[in-house]
Amino acid sequence: MRYKKILTDFFILMSLTTNISFIVSPSGYELVITVAMNLAATILKIGEGKVLSTEMLASSLVADLHLIPALFLFYLGDQVEAVGLAQGALAANVISVVISIIETVLSAFTEEEE
Amino acid sequence: MPRVRLKKRIRKRLKKREPKLIEIYERKFIETLKELRIPLLMLHTAITIGTLGYMLLSGGDFINSFYMTIITIGTIGFGEVVTGSETPYGRIFSSFLALAGIGIFTTSVTVIVRVFFKEDIIALYRAIKMLREIEELEGHYLICGYDKTSAWLAKTLKKRKIEFVVIEEKPEALKYLQEHNIKYFIAEEPHKRSVLISAGIKRARGMVVNLGEDARNIAVIVTARLVRPSKEDFYIYSFASGDGSAQKMEELGANKALVPNKLLATRLSAYIFHTSSAFISDLFDRIAFGEEADIDILEFRIEPGSPLIGKRLRDIDLRKSLKVTVIAIRKPDGYLDVTISGESTVEEGDTLILFGHPKNLRNAQKVLLERAVSLIGGGG
Repeated sequence: MRYKKILTDFFILMSLTTNISFIVSPSGYELVITVAMNLAATILKIGEGKVLSTEMLASSLVADLHLIPALFLFYLGDQVEAVGLAQGALAANVISVVISIIETVLSAFTEEEE
Repeated sequence: MPRVRLKKRIRKRLKKREPKLIEIYERKFIETLKELRIPLLMLHTAITIGTLGYMLLSGGDFINSFYMTIITIGTIGFGEVVTGSETPYGRIFSSFLALAGIGIFTTSVTVIVRVFFKEDIIALYRAIKMLREIEELEGHYLICGYDKTSAWLAKTLKKRKIEFVVIEEKPEALKYLQEHNIKYFIAEEPHKRSVLISAGIKRARGMVVNLGEDARNIAVIVTARLVRPSKEDFYIYSFASGDGSAQKMEELGANKALVPNKLLATRLSAYIFHTSSAFISDLFDRIAFGEEADIDILEFRIEPGSPLIGKRLRDIDLRKSLKVTVIAIRKPDGYLDVTISGESTVEEGDTLILFGHPKNLRNAQKVLLERAVSLIGGGG
């Protein structure tokens, strides 16, 4: 069992799901958890040399750069803009998940070959 | 069936190939960055737990909760700025956060600073940057081994504005490379194929092998020849300890293998034999060895179909049109005709020995190659 893969995928999926739940019903706690999950996913992707991992790191960074300003905007009173930024981050989260699936499929092929 | 085909195709794509040097360096760089993961994750966890905890205590005041967490784990401790933190529950939470958080904060910051300021990461970054620049080079030379002779060679090439890449594995030589302001160098073993490819051997014009030992020189020559088989397109000049090894090196792929002691003795003997005409002897040496900046010699071969074939030197008049002088003609059989005049005729396969200012010679070569027809039209 690949514990690192479980951990990374857990954070990627958690950031996606909490982000969706924040967009559907905006709540401060959910946004803080989304940011925390997304940052954890980003940190876990640092130092991964594979092409797809770097793509995933880039998309995670994009999501971070949307969610962190969204968090401050939310608590400074501009909730509409915060939700808008979270929607932008959602696109990056979806891309992260798609890349993660592709990476899993490709690694399954290489494993079979070995 | 299509699934099998797809699998085969993907397998083919994923088939391992020999990694490039730049890829190895990038991997090392990434591996070093990996060290940041655990401290960053620890710090992130501490901040998240602290912020969420204070948020629960204060009823959702994010900004102050985040601030309170930072001042607590960062040992700043300005006071209890969050509502609820002055309650017994708040104080218990703050105590545990401070106990765990301060340790995490100091450890993480120490590791992060160590990773960033470690010599390796800066050196690796510089090496990657240099390899990327080397990838852009074309028509350059490779110098394998850096000693005093290579340093002189590098100085001469720099003077002539010829780009070169030095490959030297000895760590003590790296200091001299930096001191001598060598723009491109690779600190790896030159006999490795991946190293030669990273130095741009496929786009290079030639190579100088000076590793101090015949066996090592031969290993590099053979590896280089396997990548660039043609002696016409890629020149390999090597150093040898004696005539026997020089011959072997030439047979194995070197265009010319030089015996340094013999070369020096030959040059010295030339002075001894021409003591009465020392200036001229020295001048020719200086021109031949590229030490004379204002005069140079160029060989220009008359290829089949050249419009110069059958023309007399008087008709071409290179001295007037291009400011270069034909001082001799080397015939295809190797005979050097130094008694040429305006009446001498240019024949197919001849090599014109041109004498003049380096700038004019370069221009003449360009004109003779590219605009030979118009030149003949104007001159004759």
